[in-house]
Amino acid sequence: MIPGPFTTAVRTAQAVARRGLSARDCLEQVHDQGNRTVALVVTALSFFGAVMVTIAYAQARKITGNLATVGPPYLELLVRDFGPLTCALLAAARCGAASAAELSAMAVNEQVEALELCNGDPYSDLVAPRFVGALVAVPLLCILGTSAAAVSAALTARYVFLTDGMAFLDPRFIDGWDLLSGGLKALLAAAWIPLAASSRGLAARGGSAAVGEATTDGVVVACVGSIVLVAAVGLLFQLLGV
Amino acid sequence: MSAVLAALGRGTLAAARAAGQSALVLGRTLRAAPRMNRRELLRAFGHFGWESLGICLWVAVVIGVMVVVQSGLYANRFGARMALGWASGFAVTWEFGPLLLGVVLAARVGARNAAELAVLKAGGQLEGLSGISLDPYPVLLAPRWVAITASTGMLASVTLLVAVCMEVVSAWASLGVPPRVFTGSMADALGWQDVLGGTTKALFFGAAVATVSTAVGLRASGGARGVGLAAASAVVRSSFAIFGLDLLLTPVLAAGLSR
Repeated sequence: MIPGPFTTAVRTAQAVARRGLSARDCLEQVHDQGNRTVALVVTALSFFGAVMVTIAYAQARKITGNLATVGPPYLELLVRDFGPLTCALLAAARCGAASAAELSAMAVNEQVEALELCNGDPYSDLVAPRFVGALVAVPLLCILGTSAAAVSAALTARYVFLTDGMAFLDPRFIDGWDLLSGGLKALLAAAWIPLAASSRGLAARGGSAAVGEATTDGVVVACVGSIVLVAAVGLLFQLLGV
Repeated sequence: MSAVLAALGRGTLAAARAAGQSALVLGRTLRAAPRMNRRELLRAFGHFGWESLGICLWVAVVIGVMVVVQSGLYANRFGARMALGWASGFAVTWEFGPLLLGVVLAARVGARNAAELAVLKAGGQLEGLSGISLDPYPVLLAPRWVAITASTGMLASVTLLVAVCMEVVSAWASLGVPPRVFTGSMADALGWQDVLGGTTKALFFGAAVATVSTAVGLRASGGARGVGLAAASAVVRSSFAIFGLDLLLTPVLAAGLSR
């Protein structure tokens, strides 16, 4: 039976408590999952920001007649929901695929067993650095991505639709609850992605098809889990009325 | 300054190399398509199409709810609930539906295709096929390309349909907009051209994912790290290809279908 992300989390915590954690490996993972995902997240969110303004323009023409009026609620939506969700999905896709493929290739080539024979522990040596790396990288990616979407929306409004672009950077509707909701979503997704991808990767057995299967499973579980966690936090805040 | 120029030059060369490799893969795949292995094609349809249905339905639910939340925020603040169906339907069929589906399939299908091909390449199995006079294009690569592209088109139709249904449910449950009002507003302003536009975009995105992930997988080198990098590169490059194609296709399709 394949150990799930929760079992992987418990085993990783036990292994780290027993054997410690390599700061160098963690930094390497921050670089791998953070720096190497920046281009994807910034490009995608800039693109989505511009698309959302184009759609908002079509709506505003019909509803209010003025695009600038939808700027402040757009920024609130971006910080609270759209930014964390999209960044988490992109991070789950890129980092989840990389972790699941790398660990599954190691597992099918018996490198994980070799590590254990050399007195290593796959949970503390392979999973824990990925967990720490994601915990640092994904929230930072969310901040970068959300900022990119806001700036792109402002520039699109200003230079394409020739309206007040600064309205899309106006934070008047954003309060502490919005920031807390967005931050919590990013942190939960960051914790889930490496655990989901690593649990599928380490369980791979067989040849190239098993690597493909594990990669797919890792990405799917990471993406779906992130969506569910983001939706659960959104629902919780809605129930709390904030 | 010279360091910036050098980095820019390196980036441009790398992008040109990647585009050239993808174009070569596409050309060879299309040439091999009439001779492709039918059995592998069926297997690929199962792996890349049928098995992706679950995540596509998830994506449809998320898009439906997210777009209604987004549009509803504006509609509530500006007292324009009657236009909610049109605004949400437009956003799903033209932009968010095809785009999010493309990105998710780049992750699910593109990463798998690239990882499998990378393992075969790193293990020398692709060279082994050539060694026994078997061309990997009709045997292995063309069936995957056709299956990924065709599956994306079919999955897009299902995803857009489910997303629109979810919008109706979500608008009724969260904003109290009656389904008849919502669908009426949608039917007034949207036509078959909008659905066709979104599905056509998704079909092109599928072709991009298939081409890019195959090219990345065939270029992989090294061991487990190479496989991981190939999977990640497939996701990143496919996503970039999707965004680029979206910029090109949206005005072309909008102009073509509105005639």
